This record gives sequence, structure tokens and C-alpha cells, in this order.
Amino acid sequence: MKILHLYHDIMNLYGEYANVKAMERIFGNSGITYTTDRLSIGDDVDISAYDFIYIGSGTERNQRVVLEDMKKYKEDLEKYIYNGKTALFTGNSFEMLGHSITDSNGQNYEGLGIFDFTVKEQNKTRITADAVFECDFLDKPLVGFINKCSEIQNIGTPLFNVKMGIGNTAEDNYEGIRVQNFFGTHLTGPVLIKNPYFLEYIVSLIAGENAKLNTEYLTYERAGYEVTLKELEKRVKETNG
Amino acid sequence: MKAFFTILICKLLRFVGKLVGKGSSLPGKIALKLCPDILSRIELPEYIIAVTGSNGKTSTVEMIAHILTENGKKVAWNKEGSNQIEGVTTLVLGSATLSGKVKSDILLIESDERFARYTFKYIKPTHYVITNLYRDQLTRNGHPEWVYDALKDSIYPETQLILNADDPLVSHFGYGRDNIIWFGAGNLETDSEELVSVYNDGAYCPHCKSKMTYSRYHYNHIGHYQCPSCGYKRQDTEYTVTSVDLDNGEAVINGKYAISLALKSLYNIYNILAAFTVASIVGIDGAKIAEDMSDYVMKNGRVITFNLGKRHGTMLTSKHENSISYDQSIRLASEDKRGCDVMFIVDAVSRKYFTSDVSWLWDIDFEMLNNDNVHEIILSGQYSNDLAVRFSYTDIPKDKIKIYADIGEAYRYLDGSREEYIYVITCFSDKNKFLGLLE
Repeated sequence: MKILHLYHDIMNLYGEYANVKAMERIFGNSGITYTTDRLSIGDDVDISAYDFIYIGSGTERNQRVVLEDMKKYKEDLEKYIYNGKTALFTGNSFEMLGHSITDSNGQNYEGLGIFDFTVKEQNKTRITADAVFECDFLDKPLVGFINKCSEIQNIGTPLFNVKMGIGNTAEDNYEGIRVQNFFGTHLTGPVLIKNPYFLEYIVSLIAGENAKLNTEYLTYERAGYEVTLKELEKRVKETNG
Repeated sequence: MKAFFTILICKLLRFVGKLVGKGSSLPGKIALKLCPDILSRIELPEYIIAVTGSNGKTSTVEMIAHILTENGKKVAWNKEGSNQIEGVTTLVLGSATLSGKVKSDILLIESDERFARYTFKYIKPTHYVITNLYRDQLTRNGHPEWVYDALKDSIYPETQLILNADDPLVSHFGYGRDNIIWFGAGNLETDSEELVSVYNDGAYCPHCKSKMTYSRYHYNHIGHYQCPSCGYKRQDTEYTVTSVDLDNGEAVINGKYAISLALKSLYNIYNILAAFTVASIVGIDGAKIAEDMSDYVMKNGRVITFNLGKRHGTMLTSKHENSISYDQSIRLASEDKRGCDVMFIVDAVSRKYFTSDVSWLWDIDFEMLNNDNVHEIILSGQYSNDLAVRFSYTDIPKDKIKIYADIGEAYRYLDGSREEYIYVITCFSDKNKFLGLLE
């Protein structure tokens, strides 16, 4: 299996490098051989060579720099996604795949245009929230944190149903985007560590349903997940009175 | 007359508040309601010194107040650390006469990074110290550049900036400005050529976003940097730590002022340096400052020594959601050659607001504990599972790690047959859950 951690040194807020570590560990523990490439600005990457691509979140300024660099991969990424290959983009990294990003001064940046959505930033308040997100492919919800300054309009195939937290827009009850096996979400941080069931699901997409995975070692991961879910659900009840 | 009554009411509320043990932000809040421009109606002293930054501002302000007071200056400062506009209003009105004149020689303000732009709209600092900008409470602050942008609005052309030259993002406040007073560390024995940190917030130039290089790192991304692309670089410093000896606890400023350290860590030395710089500007002699700072023990309760049965220990209050604060505590413990056990407690992530986010644990460099000085590591609190997962991604041998979700149980384990010195590393929100067990 070939893993690509793209823009690892510039889109790396909130300890997100650990998402790739989680992937490496489950492959390693399941006896699946893997290699990981950590590449960044200025590298020349053969996107099609990989089985899993991860990009994390960055500051708004860093995202702009990355967007410029990433334009050369537009066709390759489009093919990768529509060939059904697996990728996870967390935080503001998936914003770059849309039609455009408008910053707080009204300046417009053209996106890769793989998807039709538009992104609008503001610089008044940081939009943050603990999150509980449901999805149709898992029995258990995801837990995590949202940390962004933008709203996204016109996502036809969202990834999650918001049970707690914030969706793609303030009014929206849906979060992120899923197109085939491409997962884009504004959940930040080590999403794959914090959500062992989501990790198992993603890995089964990459390695195939018949691959034998060892998931027994995930004891503390599962216990940590349960504590957070319990805390967040308690919070939802308190807030609802 | 409106100002008179507002000051009077604020003083009365503060007086009553102190009697019943209430915080210092409410009187200011009410004063601002009664008279929104009250701060601009006050006659301020010659020196208005502001301190902000992610880490070290409370300690730096306490040190400045200590030195200036020792040297006969009358200082009004926010001792309680209420550092948003309400707390600062309480401070200013509390130290003013009823006719609206601040009676002190120096007004010394610790300011929250995100609220400085509101506070300083009315009270423009004459001198403004910015210590550092780190990943800090990102669940509210977003990221350091977000805080940078908020802080930028609080800086006025007439204010004298006093900046940490070793922090590339902080230094950028001085870009294109004249007359910056720079402080920083020179070539220290404790420096490294390679980055010691989980992440590198100095990887890219804050000015042009090209890749930066470092000739030396003091700690994390704090050091001597230069951008080969646009030429942005660390500035020469007027106030400089020229040598440190952490084993014997001594730091030297500007090659001649030796200070004996009560807390043997680099972050403490940076706080001392910032305080030294401010006191020098106010006119205090360097030798006198060194004398006042030598063996000075902070009163703000961030370092607490304790006895647990027959064992001794130190609690290093660190900030949850702040990896550099943790890294510095971890470094201190890991360098204790006597050998030690280190306990971490993460029970509530924050004391002021709710969050269950523990992504910040992944930005902490726990690997530093992987040496012979550290004998056992005890993980405790509601989020001990997350700590356990984080440690499973280090090379620290599993048999060194003990996990007790219940803090009481962890305490009973510590109170056993072992004799090692104990370091407890945790946050304000959780510290009393441990200290409360000690009686």
C-alpha cells in the first residue's frame, strides 16, 4: 500500500500528522506492507501511484500558498477521485477542491474546480465547536472538533449529519463532502485516532473488504472515543435543557 | 460628573468584590456600561506598559512589577490576571483618583491577545512587549496567524514595540517599522542545530511563505532563522541572554549581569529577559535588576513543591491546549539527573469553557521523556485513554507507563514503595484535583 501525506509540513495544524500514523499502524499490525511519502510544496508527485492520500488543515495564508502549488495536480486528483480511490482531506484542505475561495477582504481565489462548491471566509470570529457527526456508513457517530473561519455553499453530497457542532453553513445540518471514496470534512485533528471505527472503515476501503485487519490493539482508542462521546452527549442534553 | 460617579461606583464594587472574594472583571464591566468611553477620560501616567503573547505574560508582568516596586516606583498592575478589557478597566479606575488621574508612576497591563485591540483603543500603551505566539487554546484561538492578525489591530504607530527577536511570527510585527527594541537569546550551550519539536511553526517564512532555515534553535521554533528567498531574518538584539547554565541555575544578560535562577528553565529565562528589558527602559540599572531577579520565586503559584508520604515532588502547572508549555515542563523533568517519576493529569480540558478536544496532545513532544532520568510515567484523569494512545506512539517502553483514570487511585499508587522525585504536569483546571488529596 502506498500512502501519501501531502503538504505535511505546511498543512499541519492540530496534530493532524497522527492521521497518517494511525493508518501506518493498522497496516503494520495487519501484516499489510506499506510505504509512506511525506511531500510538500515544490515536489513533483505522481498522484495516481498512491492508494491513500491525506492532507490536513493549515492557516488561511498557508492554504493560499498550497492552492497555487496544487493546481498542477487538478487533472490527476480528479481522476484519482472519480476512479474511486481513497483520500481524506481534513480542515480547510478540502476547500481547495471547490470552485472558489473568497477571503475576508472579498478577494477571490480560484479553486481546483473538481467540485462545484464555493467557500467564503470572514475574519471576525473563529468558528469552533465540539462535534458529533452521524453518517450512513457507520453505526456510531464521529466525535471531534471544528475549527474554521468559512462557510461552504452548494455541496450536494455531504459526508455527515450534524448532531452537535456546525455544518457547512450556519443554517446547514450537513457537514463535509463525500464523492465516491473521497472524504472531505472540517473536523480537525487526529480524526482517525479519535474515531477508531472510522479508521477501520477507511482502511477497509483501501485494503478491500476481504483484507484481514487486526483491530484488537485499538483498546485505548475505543475507550477514549467512548469517554468523549459520553461527555459530548451529556453536553447536548445540558444545552437542550 | 459622569466620570466621577463611574469611578466611584467601580471602586465601591471592587471593594465589595474583594470582601466577598469575587473576581476583578465585574466592576469594570459595569463601569463600561455606565460610561463607555470612561478609559479615555482618565489622565494616565507617563509609562503605560503592556505585555501580551501566548505564554509567559502573567509571569513577565509579575517580574516587571517586582523590579519596579523594589526600585521605588509606584506601579498599578493587574495582579489577578483579569486581562480582558473589563479587568483592565477595573485596574485603571481602581488606581485613579475620583477626579480621574491615575496615581501611579507606571500603569502595567497584562493583556489577552485577542482582546488587546479593544482595550488599547482607549489606553494606548507607550511600551508594548510581545513575548511569543504559539499554538495556544486553538479551540478558541484558531491558530497563531489568526491571533497575529487580531493583535496587529492593537498596535499604534506611536507605541514603542519591544519584541522577541527569536520568534519569527512576533518579529514580523516589527516589519517595516523603525525603532523596535529587540530582546532574545544569543548562542547558548543548550541550543540545537536540529528542531526538537513535533511540529515546526518556523518552517515557512511569515513574510513571503518560502521555506526558512535556522542556524540554531533555542527550543521548538524559537531561534535564529533566516529566509533565503526574501531575506527576512532574526534581528540583532539590544537585550540578550548571552549564556545559560541550567545545571547550576544561572543566566547572564548582556555579557555581564548574572542572575541566579529559582526555576531552571529557558522559558523562565525569556520572562526574566523581557522584564529586564522593560526595567532597563524605565531607567533601572542592570546590576540592580539582576540583584532583584536573582532567586526570585514567582508568587503566581505555577510551580508548587509538595510532599506525598515520604516522597517529594513539584507540580509544574502547564497550559492544556498549549504544546510548548507542556514541552517546557517535560524538558525540565526529563533533565533531572536524580531520576524521577512523571505524572500527567488531563481530566478537564479547560476550566473556563467546555471542550472535549485532545488533538493538542499530539503536538506535545512526549518523546523527550524517553531517557534514563525518567523512571515511570503515570497517566491519569478522564482523558487518560487519550494520553495512553498518545504515549503508544512514542518509543517509551510500555512497562514504564502506568494508567489510572481515577486521580485518587493514581495518588495511592504514588504513595507506595517508590522513592523517586515526582513531577506532576497538569493544568490550572486540574491541579487542585491532585493537590486536594495531599493533606
